[in-house]
Amino acid sequence: MKHLPKHLRPRWRYLAVRIESRPDAGLTRGAFQRELWYSAANLLGDPGSADADLRVFSFAFKDGTGEAVVRVRRGEVERARAALACVADVDGAPVAASVIGVSGTVRACEEKYMRGPPEACDEKRVVFRDADTRALFRDALRDVRSDGRWTGATSLDTE
Amino acid sequence: MYEAATAHPAGESTVSRLAATASRLGYAGLVVRNSRDSVVPGTFDSLKRYADAVESEFGVDVVRSVELEDDRGQLRTTVRDLRDSYTIVAVSGGSPERNRLALETPEVDVLTEPMTGQGDVNHILARAAAENGVRFEFDFGPALRKTGGERVQALRGLRKLREMVEYYDAPFVCSVRAESHLELRAPRDVAALGAEIGFDAEQVKEGFAEWGGLVERNRELMDEAFVAPGVRRGKPEGAFRDDPEEGGCEE
Repeated sequence: MKHLPKHLRPRWRYLAVRIESRPDAGLTRGAFQRELWYSAANLLGDPGSADADLRVFSFAFKDGTGEAVVRVRRGEVERARAALACVADVDGAPVAASVIGVSGTVRACEEKYMRGPPEACDEKRVVFRDADTRALFRDALRDVRSDGRWTGATSLDTE
Repeated sequence: MYEAATAHPAGESTVSRLAATASRLGYAGLVVRNSRDSVVPGTFDSLKRYADAVESEFGVDVVRSVELEDDRGQLRTTVRDLRDSYTIVAVSGGSPERNRLALETPEVDVLTEPMTGQGDVNHILARAAAENGVRFEFDFGPALRKTGGERVQALRGLRKLREMVEYYDAPFVCSVRAESHLELRAPRDVAALGAEIGFDAEQVKEGFAEWGGLVERNRELMDEAFVAPGVRRGKPEGAFRDDPEEGGCEE
């Protein structure tokens, strides 16, 4: 179809979103997009969800952390923020998505807020709560695996 | 702004991990609302040391708090026993009797999750809260994490509580009742959610700031130098003579 004249094209805002989950979560763009649409439809209703028109653009996720660019109609940023806050789990893994910045173009959004692919994390043995277990390290953060459950910890909690 | 969360072993993240995430989300402090179980890892010998280490590492003030779920008969005694050892004493609501008892006890700082389970509020309880300075907690957890009927019930509860709080000008705090660092949300994101469900965004932010106000007030009250409002115990007499500017009674 022919392009719309410039004054009729929709105006967009691009949200830089930081995503965090468990280190073994296999989060994909498709699953995150689906969950975001569900969350928007549940919170804002079908009309609100259509108005916000949330779409996940770039998406990178590895070892429990990632970032994405989410497109939203101009003027709907706060509603998009609320819908993103309501994304609590994707495919059974708990997920936290928070807006770290808003830009008028994808490029500005990526240049200003994106930090590139996350560093790979190391796996080491640690002593946590008097038990010897395995943990994934990223900077000062530790994700400890014990009895089939993940526990969030930091360097202050482990030996 | 402060947030109150449940830490390991009751929750899924340790105090320091919650603090690391809270710091990134823009909170100045974290109220650890565990029910009397130990949250201190083996590497530290007291909560004070651990809290200092967390503050220097992540820049978040860790506040010692307790959330009581005692029966009606023991609740008042427990509150009085624990008042001096915890900066914030909260009572978990969820039944009409416990809601009422908590709101009629001025020593209680916060009545948490007043609308869950069988819990409810009415004009009498809202008035008691305003008179005794007991804060209602707006619990945004179910609104964020639940779906369907449970969420509808939670939203209905939030609305009723908000109407009571606004009419009687009762004090309140806000929280998402996180049990892991993945459940914490930035104040701005919660405010955006609040705006969708009928709150004023500023109101939600005030609710987060109110935890900080409570902490400051209670620390002042628990300080050894505190005598009465506006009166503080000063330095010994010698110091008073040397420097009349310091010591004695300060206004």
